[in-house]
Amino acid sequence: MEVQKEAQRIMTLSVWKMYHSRMQRGGLRLHRSLQLSLVMRSARELYLSAKVEVHEPEVSLQPARFLDPRLHSRREAEAEAEAAPLDGEQPSPEPMDTQEAPRAQEAPARGGPCPAKVSRKRRSSNLSDGGDVGLVPSKKARLEEEAASLEIPDRLQPSPAQAEGAFPNLARVLQRRFSGLLNCNPAAPPTAPPACEAKPACRPADSMLNVLVRAVVAF
Amino acid sequence: MWCFSQVKGAVDDDVAEADIISTVEFNHSGELLATGDKGGRVVIFQQEQENKIQSHSRGEYNVYSTFQSHEPEFDYLKSLEIEEKINKIRWLPQKNAAQFLLSTNDKTIKLWKISERDKRPEGYNLKEEDGRYRDPTTVTTLRVPVFRPMDLMVEASPRRIFANAHTYHINSISINSDYETYLSADDLRINLWHLEITDRSFNIVDIKPANMEELTEVITAAEFHPNSCNTFVYSSSKGTIRLCDMRASALCDRHSKLFEEPEDPSNRSFFSEIISSISDVKFSHSGRYMMTRDYLSVKIWDLNMENRPVETYQVHEYLRSKLCSLYENDCIFDKFECCWNGSDSVVMTGSYNNFFRMFDRNTKRDITLEASRENNKPRTVLKPRKVCASGKRKKDEISVDSLDFNKKILHTAWHPKENIIAVATTNNLYIFQDKVN
Repeated sequence: MEVQKEAQRIMTLSVWKMYHSRMQRGGLRLHRSLQLSLVMRSARELYLSAKVEVHEPEVSLQPARFLDPRLHSRREAEAEAEAAPLDGEQPSPEPMDTQEAPRAQEAPARGGPCPAKVSRKRRSSNLSDGGDVGLVPSKKARLEEEAASLEIPDRLQPSPAQAEGAFPNLARVLQRRFSGLLNCNPAAPPTAPPACEAKPACRPADSMLNVLVRAVVAF
Repeated sequence: MWCFSQVKGAVDDDVAEADIISTVEFNHSGELLATGDKGGRVVIFQQEQENKIQSHSRGEYNVYSTFQSHEPEFDYLKSLEIEEKINKIRWLPQKNAAQFLLSTNDKTIKLWKISERDKRPEGYNLKEEDGRYRDPTTVTTLRVPVFRPMDLMVEASPRRIFANAHTYHINSISINSDYETYLSADDLRINLWHLEITDRSFNIVDIKPANMEELTEVITAAEFHPNSCNTFVYSSSKGTIRLCDMRASALCDRHSKLFEEPEDPSNRSFFSEIISSISDVKFSHSGRYMMTRDYLSVKIWDLNMENRPVETYQVHEYLRSKLCSLYENDCIFDKFECCWNGSDSVVMTGSYNNFFRMFDRNTKRDITLEASRENNKPRTVLKPRKVCASGKRKKDEISVDSLDFNKKILHTAWHPKENIIAVATTNNLYIFQDKVN
């Protein structure tokens, strides 16, 4: 429980920092954003692993964005189910390639701008199949809608420089989600960031956090 | 034994953001010392010629030139402000009477010429001394203008502007040993420039993934080898260093060597990934070794051995248990630099509470010193400091909890030939000298 609270606090703090970094002069710093997202990912995994230990039925997990070889052991345990087929594809000197292999395995049918939007099977079916690792939110429809809204800006933006510079996906999602997260989370950061325009309905923390993590790495 | 020599900058505690020093660099002879600040200014100090009478100390550094290198800009396409903060300054070796340096902010690199003017032409036939044209009918004689001495004036003029080549924020520039080309590195790309050509550059490293969502690491620093003009290294946020040979291919995406130390599993923590990010990489003067700085340590690598560093020095290991607090106050993201002394026998880096550390590679001794105005009498010997990690605090020791994390030394520089060091606190520049006798 303590671990869970601490992890949630770190997650909230990270989101707040990421939001705050958008206000800084010079724009979003890629390195800082990456570091924040790494911490957030670690915190999320810790949070989720702590939650699973408490046997919560509502737990919803997101397909891995970064299948970094140096992840927590829990991630490795989950990936064991598909370790065999992936082993041959896994390592390469360049970290980039390591990410490619599992994703290619999981989502062969999906092409397009976001190949990382892997299969959305429910977790229960995954466990029974022992097949895809796809750990997905239970609220599938809503996330697909959000995923679509995240994907669309990518396609609409012809120039990559433009997309990278302004991080529109991040901006949009943070604006939509951030105030919601703050409302739901008891461990809100002490100083509230500038008011968000949209005030979304409060969602269960898990799926929101999953979307947030996906959003913050989509820069 | 290190002694206080000078301190430059405002005395008051209220620090203007524009005065925050962001880079410090000696030139190749050590006669000139350049600093860049957040306000886009470059201040160059010049060492006085040695006073033969006062042989117990080397010359003092006094302001030689000050100029505005970069101004804030606005990128209208991306609706982003471009900070004027000077990220790096690198001196070119001196070829003639003028001095040249490269200074860069997040997006634009500029080549500055700093030249002295100590005489001016006088006695024009058609112009008055103030520049106004004379009435031609009043000109009855012809004379040859002559140069007459004037008060020394140091002029800085931008000779080249290298712009529009970086989508991300420039973190490093490094001049090649051929003295004709240089590299500039941002988070994802490294470009090679010719000093004479501003309208194009070659991209030599590109680690941008096809899908930005798959991004896992960024480039944090890059440097050319001091002797081999085809070799450079770049460090990453994952704690790896890649050495590349430009002869191998035009795009150096495949490294020639990969320097990486396996992570110690006992040290694995929540913030392991962040603190392994390398903030600075510097070749030794000999070119045989390179030094990297991550959040808690300094590592020396032998270029011939890729699997682990040959030496590791803990800068402030007592912070390892405080990483969560340091994450909260953003200090965990601080980018410390490091430097070698002229003979590559000692390395130096900064820490918090205005402490800086030196590690002697031969004797394996280290020392912690403080840059503080309390010791600001010239030739005051600096007292070694000690941080008490836990347990009983001895007299004169400072406990970890009483360290001031707002006082950080990120930038230090060592004179290339002598034991003179420049240490930048937030807005002050301290110069220390080794006691001569």
